[in-house]
Amino acid sequence: MANHPAAAAANDESAAVLNADLLQKFAALAGLVALLIVFSLIARNFCTVDNFINICRQTTTIALAGIGVTFVIITGGIDLSIGSVLAMSGVVAGMLVKNWGWNVYASFLVGMLAGVFIGFLNGGMVNFLRLPPFIATLGTMMIARGLALLVTNARSIPGLPETFGDIGNAAAGTTYRIDARGIEVVAFPGIPYAVILMVVLAAAFHYILSCTKLGRYIYAVGSNEEATRLSGINVVKVKFSAYMICGGFAALAGIVTMSRLVTVQPTAGVAFEMDAIASAVIGGTSLMGGMGSISGTIIGAFIIGVLRNGLNMFGVQGFVQQILIGLVIILAVSVDQLRNRKKT
Amino acid sequence: MTTLLMVDDVSKSFPGVKALDGVRLELRRGEVHVLLGENGAGKSTLMKILSGVYRPDSGTVFFKGAPITFRDATESLRAGIGIIYQELNLIPHLTVAQNIFIGKEPVRMGFTIDGAKMNRDASEILKRLNADVKPTALVKNLPVSKQQMVEVAKALSYDSDVLIMDEPTSALTASEIEELFKVIRSLRGQGVGIIYISHRLEEIREIADRVTIFRDGQYVSTDAYQDLTLDEIVKRMVGREMENKFPRKKHVPTERVILEVRGLRRRGEAEQASFTLRAGEILGVAGLMGAGRTELARMIFGADRKAGGEILVDGRPVSVSSPLDAIQAGIGYLSEDRKTFGLALNMRLSENITMAYLDEVSTRSGRILKRLEKEATQRFVKSLDIRTPSVSQVVKNLSGGNQQKVVIAKWLFRSARVLIFDEPTRGIDVGAKYAIYELMDGLAAKGAGIIMISSELPEILGMSDRIMVMSQGRIATVMDVAGATQEKILHYAAGLS
Repeated sequence: MANHPAAAAANDESAAVLNADLLQKFAALAGLVALLIVFSLIARNFCTVDNFINICRQTTTIALAGIGVTFVIITGGIDLSIGSVLAMSGVVAGMLVKNWGWNVYASFLVGMLAGVFIGFLNGGMVNFLRLPPFIATLGTMMIARGLALLVTNARSIPGLPETFGDIGNAAAGTTYRIDARGIEVVAFPGIPYAVILMVVLAAAFHYILSCTKLGRYIYAVGSNEEATRLSGINVVKVKFSAYMICGGFAALAGIVTMSRLVTVQPTAGVAFEMDAIASAVIGGTSLMGGMGSISGTIIGAFIIGVLRNGLNMFGVQGFVQQILIGLVIILAVSVDQLRNRKKT
Repeated sequence: MTTLLMVDDVSKSFPGVKALDGVRLELRRGEVHVLLGENGAGKSTLMKILSGVYRPDSGTVFFKGAPITFRDATESLRAGIGIIYQELNLIPHLTVAQNIFIGKEPVRMGFTIDGAKMNRDASEILKRLNADVKPTALVKNLPVSKQQMVEVAKALSYDSDVLIMDEPTSALTASEIEELFKVIRSLRGQGVGIIYISHRLEEIREIADRVTIFRDGQYVSTDAYQDLTLDEIVKRMVGREMENKFPRKKHVPTERVILEVRGLRRRGEAEQASFTLRAGEILGVAGLMGAGRTELARMIFGADRKAGGEILVDGRPVSVSSPLDAIQAGIGYLSEDRKTFGLALNMRLSENITMAYLDEVSTRSGRILKRLEKEATQRFVKSLDIRTPSVSQVVKNLSGGNQQKVVIAKWLFRSARVLIFDEPTRGIDVGAKYAIYELMDGLAAKGAGIIMISSELPEILGMSDRIMVMSQGRIATVMDVAGATQEKILHYAAGLS
């Protein structure tokens, strides 16, 4: 029995599976690189420092929301309330500053907490009312959006203090030089704070997902919830964590969005959850749960961001962009499906 | 008797493994041909070739004299080869008749489904099977045994000449099995050729005409069943002599009571369960399906709420209201259905083993020390002889026996001292069964208390020190293994006393 054929088969299969996993991630990354190369060749202004920083800035909000929703999707759930939470948390922060004269950062914090609270509600409905996540978050999607529109009368909140716009607009490490005419010009536009924040959080939550107990339990719940429960793990707590993390990130994406505009728009972020979910899915997160990674999601977010930016530059109109991004999602998931089919 | 199906020198390779290597099989009209072999022997691969899922690399399959060239399962069905897989493939929300005629509904005027005709035809087929099933009943409301009848009816609705059954009895009770065998015998009488795949050697004597044995993808032998002994079959399947199906007991029960259950009661039930388990003892739990054995185990483990009663571990009462409570008290539970309740199939072997006790390999702040985790799990791979290329293997890719060992490792890693094994060898091949028995014996020898729920009486008699028989939700009796017989156990299990 030393040369058991089943063991040999397993051995072989595992190598194939590992390769396929790498391939999936590599395929997404290779797709991103290919996009960058193609756009650099055909659009003259694409391959510049300014534009890359611009891409990062534009991608940041998708990436932030994508990180959050990756946690939920790995548990086997989904969060449709992200776009509404984005608007609601911005409204909360904006109103605290405008109507009550709160400190900007304190109001940001409360805005975030509002998002975490919606996540708490989602988690509660999924855990205790046993609602399918799709339904629970569909409900909060409408509730949060309605609240945001109600308290603002559907009007935007302009005239916010300058500091409100810092996180979305300011950058670190901006350098200047004197040009030939003796005028000071920007040499390097600097890294936007929001981008730095996104990178730091992505690293931190990658660590949480891949190296901590919470991360392991998130995968376990998505892989087999009942077996996880019978291993003595508090599944309720794990799900609460996932939805609250997702709500928090959605709120943060909202704050960055509103800060960038220095205006609070209660209508912002409609269907934004689809961008977030798409970035996760393109990056290899399985809607069936149990599989996914933050690095994949970040790559997915950048594929969407680069595609939008490059197509814009190339003068492709917005509707056509939508069609192309739709195709990319279908392509990415098809690759995933083909990979799974080969395994069986 | 005429030959229905002839598998001639068929080989099939997958990357890195030769699944079938020149196998043969001849099925005649009106015979029950049992195909035996351990997991990995190539039975499923052959089935998939017969059903058109795979094409052989070389060799030919002749069906009624002509070589088959099925492109998919539908074509093989239409040709008259019906397959009943181990996992039932019925749609729960449709009726029996709708399930039987799915994909070939009788129609009126070319497009509306003729429901009346469908029900009539269905009841005719069911009558042929002597199955007491209404064509209009919803499948989800039927017990598993009746669902199996529907599967058989579905296969027969194609006027199949060949019926292939893969482990059809694994979810059936003794009386249901008897019913299924009646159907099989009657089909045999009608000239259907049946290929019957099973691990349960005890039951095939009821129906087997001829037996073909595969080992490691190769053909071993074909014989008339009466020319074979059970020992001979096992020897040929495993490729070595198996003097004993059970290891000689190394463990000796102590006098120390490790688990005591007092008056445990399910919600909405009046029956109370009380029993004791001693350290170093294997307590076999026998009973028919539905006798409440699994329910009792799940209550002790905190997986289901109990309505009343007390659980004492080492003489101290423990309050068990969740699996975590039970685990912390030192109780581990191995479910009868490891794929649903025991394993995260898409996760790694190491991750499954540490799942119930991640604290052991992580820092206080919650960081998992992956090197420590790897080393700890490697120890179990070695001591339990889990056949895997590495601890980072995804559990889904392991064989049934090895998967079961992973679940055992999970509880050993948690240092569980009371282990509840629910049907520990279900779906596991002969060689691996022995390994599981040895493991249980070894654990008891080290002082663990083991509750072993099993529907296989030889296993109960071969492994237990005491036997607890359950019947209709209550404990009928507890007897010593000395003096216990299958008849005695069945007597109590049937509710007689």
